[in-house]
Amino acid sequence: MKLFSELYKKEHILSKIDARLKMTTSLVILAMVISYRGYAFPLAIAVMSFSLCIMMNIPIRTFAFRFSEPVFIASIIVLLKLFFHGNDPIFSINIIGINISGYKEGLMDGLLIALRILGAVSVMAVMGFSTPFNEILAGLSWMRVPRGFVEILMFAYRYIFVLIEDAMVIYNAQKNRLGYSSIRQGMGSFGTLTGSLILKAFDHSHDISVAMIQRGFDGNIPLMNHKPFKSLEIAFSFILLSALGILWVI
Amino acid sequence: MKMKKIKNRIQSFFFVLSAFLLLSDHAYSMHISEGILPFGWSALWFAIAAPFVALGLYRLKKQSAMDLSYKPLVGLMAAVVFIISCMPIPVPTAGTCSHPCGTGISGILLGPVISIVISAAALLIQALFLAHGGLSTWGADIISMGVMGSLIGYLTFRGLRAIKANLWLAAFMAGIFADWATYITTSMELALGIKGDSPFFPLFWKIVAAFIPTQLPLGILEGAMTAGMIILLNKKRPDLLVKMHVLRPGEI
Repeated sequence: MKLFSELYKKEHILSKIDARLKMTTSLVILAMVISYRGYAFPLAIAVMSFSLCIMMNIPIRTFAFRFSEPVFIASIIVLLKLFFHGNDPIFSINIIGINISGYKEGLMDGLLIALRILGAVSVMAVMGFSTPFNEILAGLSWMRVPRGFVEILMFAYRYIFVLIEDAMVIYNAQKNRLGYSSIRQGMGSFGTLTGSLILKAFDHSHDISVAMIQRGFDGNIPLMNHKPFKSLEIAFSFILLSALGILWVI
Repeated sequence: MKMKKIKNRIQSFFFVLSAFLLLSDHAYSMHISEGILPFGWSALWFAIAAPFVALGLYRLKKQSAMDLSYKPLVGLMAAVVFIISCMPIPVPTAGTCSHPCGTGISGILLGPVISIVISAAALLIQALFLAHGGLSTWGADIISMGVMGSLIGYLTFRGLRAIKANLWLAAFMAGIFADWATYITTSMELALGIKGDSPFFPLFWKIVAAFIPTQLPLGILEGAMTAGMIILLNKKRPDLLVKMHVLRPGEI
C-alpha cells in the first residue's frame, strides 16, 4: 500500500529532522491556518508546503490522490457559499428557464474556506510525507498521548497491511467466481469479505497475543526512548514559527 | 414569501445536481476535511470528543488488565475499520464511489465505548497519511463516526434484538442507522462550521440534500455489509459472538 510516508522520502533532509519537532511545528502552523481570518496566510502556507512536496519529489499520482478529497470538498463548499450566501450578485446563469445567481460575499467566503483547507492539508501532507509512522508514534508518546491509545495505533498500523493483503485475496477469489456480477450478489459478497476480515482480525489477535505472551508481554509495549533534541533543529523551528507568527499577525 | 420558497427549492435542486455532477471520482463524504472548521469549532468538537475517548481508554485499560489479548484485538478491529472506511464502494444511483464507516459493526461487537477508541485510531491514521479527514477536524470526526455511528448502531441492534428481531434484520438496520447517523452529524458539524453569519437550518438541509445521492444508498450497502458480517460470524464462529456478548449462549 504505497500511501504511507516512509515508503517515499527517507533521504530528504526534512525526514531527518526530529519527528517531535516536526509534529509540534506542524500543529502550531495548523492552528495558525485555521484561526486566520484572511486569504494571505493559508495561501502562503499552501505555496510553501507544495514547494516542499515538489522538492521531496512526491510522485504526481500520490500527490493528486492525497489532495483529491480536500479539493473536492473545497469545491463543494465554494459552490455552496457562491449560490446560497450573499446579496450582491456577480453573475447569473439561465438553466432551462431558471435564473441562478452567484453572490460576491459567498464566493469570497467560499474561497476563504477553500484556502484554509488547502493550507491545512498541505501542512499535514509535508509532515506525513517526511515522517515514518513509528516516529509519529514515539512523538505521540512524548506528547503524553495515553499509552493505551498509542499501542492501539501501533497494532492497527502493523496489521492494516496484513489485512489488506487478506482482503485482496478474498476479493479476487470472489471476483473470479462472479461474486460481483449483480448488485444483490455484490452486496452479499462484500458482506462476506468484510466478515472474513473480522474473523481474520480475531484469529490474528489471538495468535499475536499468544506469541507476545510467550515473549514476556505483560500488557504494555515498551515505547521508543527519546533522543535529546538538536539545538540547530530547535533554532530552525523557532525561526520558522516566529516568521510565520509575524505573517499571521500582519 | 411563496416565490422565495420556490426559488429556494429550485436553487436546492440545482445545487444537488451540481454536487451530483462533481462527484465524478471520489466522494469520501463521511469525514470532515482538514481545515474546514474554524479554530473555535475545532476546539469545541475536541472538547466534546475528549471525555468519550477518555472513557473508552479507561474501559480498554480495565478490559486489557483482565485479558492480555484484548489490546491486540482492539488494534486489529481498528485496522478493519480503517480498511472498511477506505474501501471505495460503487453507489449505482450516484454513478460514483463512496465508502462505508464500519463503526456500526465495531459498536455491535465490542460495544460503543471501545468502538469510539477504535474509530479515533482509524481516523488518526487516515488523517495523517491519506488526508482523509484531518487533524484539526479529528474531534468532529470522532463525534460523528465514532460516537454517533457506534452508539446508534449499538442501540439499534440491541433495541431490535430486545424485541426479538432476527439477527440479520437487527444487524442490517444497525448498519443503516449507524451510517445515516454519521452523515447527519457530519452535515450538522459542517453547517455549524461554515455557516458564518447565515442561519443554520437552511444550510444544514442543503448539505444533507447534497449528500443524499451517495449516502442514502451507501447506508443500505452498509446495512447489508453489517448483516453479512454478523451472519458469517454466526455461521462460522458463533462462539465469538457469545464471547462478545452479541448472542446469549442459548441462542447458538
